[in-house]
Amino acid sequence: MSGEEPSTFSPYNSLKMHAAVQQKAELWKRKRIRRGDHDILCFQGQSWSFLRGKEFYMKNKVIETQGLVKTYRRYRKREGIRGSLASLWKREYEEKTAVNRVNLSVEEGEFVGLIGPNGAGKTTLIKMLTGIIAPTEGSIDVLGYYPNDLRNEFKKQYAVVMGQKSQLFFELTVNDTLRLFKEIYEIPEKEYRETKDYFVRLFGVEELMDVQVRTLSLGERMKMELIVALLHQPKILFLDEPTIGLDAVASRQIRKFLREINEEKGTTILLTSHYMEDIKALCRRTVVINRGVSLYDGPTDELFDRYQKNRKVIATFEHPMGQIALKTNEVRQIEDEPYKKVYEAAIPRTRELFAELMEYEPKDIVVEEEDLGAVVERIYQSEIAAQETGTGRGSGRAVEGAEVSETGATAAEGKEATETDSAEQKSNKKGGCR
Amino acid sequence: MRKYWEIAKTYMKAQMVWRADVIFNMIFTISKILFAYLLWGIIFRQKSTVGLFTFHGMLSYYIVSSFLSQLEMADGISGEIHARIRNGSFSKYMVIPVGIEKYFMAMELGVVLFYLAFDFLAAAVWVVIFRVRFVFTTDCRILLCAVVMAVLGMVFMVQLNYLLGLLTLKYQGIGTFLMIKNNLAALVTGTIVPLALFPEIIVNAMRLLPFYYVTYLPSMLLTGMLREEALRGLLILCFWCGAIQVSINVIWKKYSRKYDGVGI
Repeated sequence: MSGEEPSTFSPYNSLKMHAAVQQKAELWKRKRIRRGDHDILCFQGQSWSFLRGKEFYMKNKVIETQGLVKTYRRYRKREGIRGSLASLWKREYEEKTAVNRVNLSVEEGEFVGLIGPNGAGKTTLIKMLTGIIAPTEGSIDVLGYYPNDLRNEFKKQYAVVMGQKSQLFFELTVNDTLRLFKEIYEIPEKEYRETKDYFVRLFGVEELMDVQVRTLSLGERMKMELIVALLHQPKILFLDEPTIGLDAVASRQIRKFLREINEEKGTTILLTSHYMEDIKALCRRTVVINRGVSLYDGPTDELFDRYQKNRKVIATFEHPMGQIALKTNEVRQIEDEPYKKVYEAAIPRTRELFAELMEYEPKDIVVEEEDLGAVVERIYQSEIAAQETGTGRGSGRAVEGAEVSETGATAAEGKEATETDSAEQKSNKKGGCR
Repeated sequence: MRKYWEIAKTYMKAQMVWRADVIFNMIFTISKILFAYLLWGIIFRQKSTVGLFTFHGMLSYYIVSSFLSQLEMADGISGEIHARIRNGSFSKYMVIPVGIEKYFMAMELGVVLFYLAFDFLAAAVWVVIFRVRFVFTTDCRILLCAVVMAVLGMVFMVQLNYLLGLLTLKYQGIGTFLMIKNNLAALVTGTIVPLALFPEIIVNAMRLLPFYYVTYLPSMLLTGMLREEALRGLLILCFWCGAIQVSINVIWKKYSRKYDGVGI
């Protein structure tokens, strides 16, 4: 490789070569060429990308899965005591495919949203990426490791925050937990103090460091979970529903912190959430997953432009209201109570509806994003329709290896996938976060 | 090692959160020995020795054995692992860079050290108040054997409970295994039926099991009641620790892939 054109990005385990690259950087400088915002370093048939102005920022694939499958085995039992007795003799098992041939590639520094309804397979995917469970089929590579080997060197490079599970010791203070994690991750004292101070200031929790965790509110606890997770400055942060159960203010704060961590520290973040707001506010790229199958993988803006058709408008009134006869078209009433009316309106009609409702002098009007489930269902239906008519895929971001089976499992055809994959790569290279 | 010491310290700190627990634990230790003092006092009023024991020898044995058995708290480990595997929160230990078994060892150490300090204090105060002439072995080798055996015994119990907890990966419930373990331990240490009632061949066979060496033999060695079995006990216990470690590795390797982390 002479240096005119960069080859494909470095192998996934190239992070291990980081130190070696740094040492030999001076020798390699002459082989560096400039391309857009990046310096491309080419050496011995491999190339690395560096953000200009930052020292040796390697743009690598940090996550790579190919045809990832996870199948669970569960047993079925007929209802009642008779069924229970029968199951003692003969047990019927069925297989449930939680993740079905998922191909995922994430580059360093990206902020990727992973969305889908309950049972879609998001958490199972996160569990495979963090090594908690082993895949049934397919290949998986995170930072150059096979996650389920559970190597300590690997575990030191990522963090995972599950919204409903805690790493904190509820009886102790956050400072005690942080001290424990400092030792577990073998963080030098100076670095520990600096990192801790940075996050404590960022999250504004100075007053809460010496109180029992169990006395903290849900929002405060989530901030602490994030501090614990980020203390060792992981390369990848896996977040599973971090804003679940939080009020709007706390959710907004968490989103702000996550954005800052991604931008300031360059941490790659993979976020699963039920809340459209989380994804819209944070992720430039979104992967939609349903019934274990990746339905969409591409820019978040495009996803919402194409598939989010409606908004929810909630009007509340001081005095009881009867039926309101609306003139605005493409509006469907989904709740009708004396003091509260809820409508679903096509996005272009929202302004019109808003104005019309204002004529009734409401106490308050709230406009909300459409539920995630509706968007996912729309993508899913468009996939099926595209398959049935044979006109190609409804989604502009076909996913390699997907096909629609009788049971509704989706997976893709090769040619289209190849075309769209290259489009994806281009869009991904534009940057990972907002 | 520092990380494991910090884990132990964290669990030690967790023990000290509730002051009432600390106080009641001390009261419990003191009252247990007080009742033993009264009971054995009545028995020894009639005669100067019972079996091999004098009054002070018996009390010394009682203090040491109750002290050691109180330190053996590994039972909770199997329950915790079982519950965490069942509800999916076992992942908590899988995603941090620690050896999971060592984590539980350190956790046990933290709890044990806390109780060691307080129980020791309580026992010492009691010995002083009631002027118990503490009977203790003067043979340094036996003393060393007894201490090593007590430590190994605790390690073994942690390993055993860890192993039983891991069986949840294969079996939904481990209640049967725990029941077998508890009954076997009680049988071997003579808690259910006095060992003297068994034929000698059975007793000898039972002495090949590790439970005999967890609390009973170290107590007998420390109080100078026995000395012959010290080395044999150590060897048997070492064998069991090694065997159970192999079993843990095999079980983990074979069944960890069955963990589905349900619940998260």
